[in-house]
Amino acid sequence: MIRRKMLAAVGLAMAALLPLTACGSGDDTESGPVELTVAVWSLASTPEFQTLFDAFHKANPDITVKPVDILAADYPTKVTTMLAGGDTTDVITMKTLADYVRFSGRGQLQDLTASATAQAGKLAGLDAYNQGGKYFALPYRQDFWVLYYNKKLFDAAKQPYPENLTWDQYVELAKKLTSGSGETKVYGAYQHVWRSVVHAIAAAQTGGDQLGGDYKFLADQYRTALALQDAGATLDYGTAVTQKTGYASMFESGKAAMVPMGSWFIAKILADKKAGTTDVDWGIAPMPQRTGTTGVTTFGAPTAFAVNKKAKHSAAAQKFVEFASSLEGAKAITGIGVVPAFSSDEIRAQYFTLPGMPTDDLSKKAFAPDKVNPEMPVSDKTAKVDTILAEEHQLIMTKEKAIDDGIKEMETRVKNEVN
Amino acid sequence: MAHPPTARSRRGLRTTLIGWSFILPNFLGFALLTLVPMLAAFVLSFMDWDSYNPPEWVGLKNLERLLDDESTKVALRNTALYALGHVPLTALAALALALLLNRRMAGVGFFRAAAFFPYVTSMVAVAVVWNMLFNPSFGPVNQFLHLLGVENPPGWTTSTDWAMPAVVLTSVWRDMGYYMVLFLAGLQAIPQEHYEAARVDGAGPWQRFRAVTLPGLRPVTFLVLILLTVQSFKVFDLIVVMTDGGPGRATLVLSQQIYRQGIIEGEFGYASAISLVLFLLVLVLTLIQFWFNNRGER
Repeated sequence: MIRRKMLAAVGLAMAALLPLTACGSGDDTESGPVELTVAVWSLASTPEFQTLFDAFHKANPDITVKPVDILAADYPTKVTTMLAGGDTTDVITMKTLADYVRFSGRGQLQDLTASATAQAGKLAGLDAYNQGGKYFALPYRQDFWVLYYNKKLFDAAKQPYPENLTWDQYVELAKKLTSGSGETKVYGAYQHVWRSVVHAIAAAQTGGDQLGGDYKFLADQYRTALALQDAGATLDYGTAVTQKTGYASMFESGKAAMVPMGSWFIAKILADKKAGTTDVDWGIAPMPQRTGTTGVTTFGAPTAFAVNKKAKHSAAAQKFVEFASSLEGAKAITGIGVVPAFSSDEIRAQYFTLPGMPTDDLSKKAFAPDKVNPEMPVSDKTAKVDTILAEEHQLIMTKEKAIDDGIKEMETRVKNEVN
Repeated sequence: MAHPPTARSRRGLRTTLIGWSFILPNFLGFALLTLVPMLAAFVLSFMDWDSYNPPEWVGLKNLERLLDDESTKVALRNTALYALGHVPLTALAALALALLLNRRMAGVGFFRAAAFFPYVTSMVAVAVVWNMLFNPSFGPVNQFLHLLGVENPPGWTTSTDWAMPAVVLTSVWRDMGYYMVLFLAGLQAIPQEHYEAARVDGAGPWQRFRAVTLPGLRPVTFLVLILLTVQSFKVFDLIVVMTDGGPGRATLVLSQQIYRQGIIEGEFGYASAISLVLFLLVLVLTLIQFWFNNRGER
């Protein structure tokens, strides 16, 4: 069924290619009210979009924004199909860097190098969008990973809050925080099933290259992850996958005392506390580090807006992209707990005045890591390497393969299958 | 008495046109959404295309790459394994159910509906629920096996050896009701006289089954096997939701590989080449089945 659908999509796209030449990009001389279209995902559960639209409309009353709402899981494929069909949606949100590389590589996005150079130095994560000296998107948010912890569970186990942890201390602490059994078991930590939880942490903290083809730098982090699992201090990988366990519910329902996760989770906790669906007493701490290192190194990934090459309203679209990554845009989304790419002390201060936000020093320290390395280097090989690493990750985490064998397999496969 | 030939052919043309006009709406849909895309995919198999820029003719490069691609080979092997499990098991289970429920007894309607029900259920719901049932530590399946005294029950979807059996079992459970209905229809089409004649000749239940039921079911069995084979080779949704091809590549199947290469990685030429192979594979298997059927009918 799906195959037929896919073939249909390809055929339709091919048919659509023919008359495409007729619809060039819109003229920049238009005046009067403009209706700007912006492709976004899951509008209702991603409040940052509407917040940005409202702020932008307030600043530019003659431009109204009409969102093109797409289900988050389908976003990359849907946008691929839209752009292939010559769609004229003005602004396209770049959900991942991998998508960005693909769209910009195909020449589907407008050159924003001038705007990017104007913002250089102020936008965290901008470097990731550098394509041979050119920029086709501007980041408006920059997430990075921190350690979420449940203060009530720490107090109950009479343990100090997790400051300056090494990974070994993290494992020991998780064991001490684990209690109960069966349905009522509380885990000391919850390590989500994504491969980034092992791979991106190891790469960021050892300087290893996930595209490089040498994966020995992953071994220590795997030992940490499996030690936690063997001690029963985290929900085991197999169960988390088969149950499709959500990290948010593990933390918000108090079933896990520590959860390493991206900063996007802050906005979700704040919203859920406001809605009354959780009463978790929480704080954030810096990510645990490797033994013998100084400073806090973590990883993160930006999210950006880009202008469609076939946009109907190019000028207005560019205005919106610039607004979203400016101080005003940053202020707007900071208001709902989203971490903006535009970094300044003013923004950081505003962040900790949000209702429900923990204001202790540890949380503030966690919010200013010394170094945020990219989650995954971006090139035309990223998607292929990502698939291989994810497949082997499953085998190591389910103990189908020993750590060293899994790593060796990653190396062989990347060498043979990625040219 | 003979009509003049012109009037006759005119009437023939008229009938043909009327016939065509009845088929037209369906044919239009088929042509636009299936035939044209299929032809396009065939041509694309020999091209490099990113869905946006003009496609580039590359000849047999995609097919060469396919021969070298370990993941595609794994997917091909897994698809064949899945079909080897799914086709015979579903056919047998469906036949057994049909024989069981092809009798006059109280509540037979209820049981038939119950057996058909899984087929009506959404595939995603089926996959999610069975995934939970197969959970290695808390799942009911393994708890039941424990009760039976199995010391080390399989890891099911978390184990490379057991993930495929788990997926096959789930799909058999879901599909057997549908094919049971086909078998039931086939059973009811077998004339009762044949059974009576067999009884008169002194045939026992097993002989009656072998000599009357099975031959009588031949056309239905043929249809069921073809449908099942085609369905097996196209399997996608169940696997994506249940294991997403994992653990590792243990349940990666061809249609999933096509989806990954085309939609996810944007290599539509290569994806088309894999789908071409899948198409030829199903075609050959169907032809073999036709050949067997024809030989048997002679």
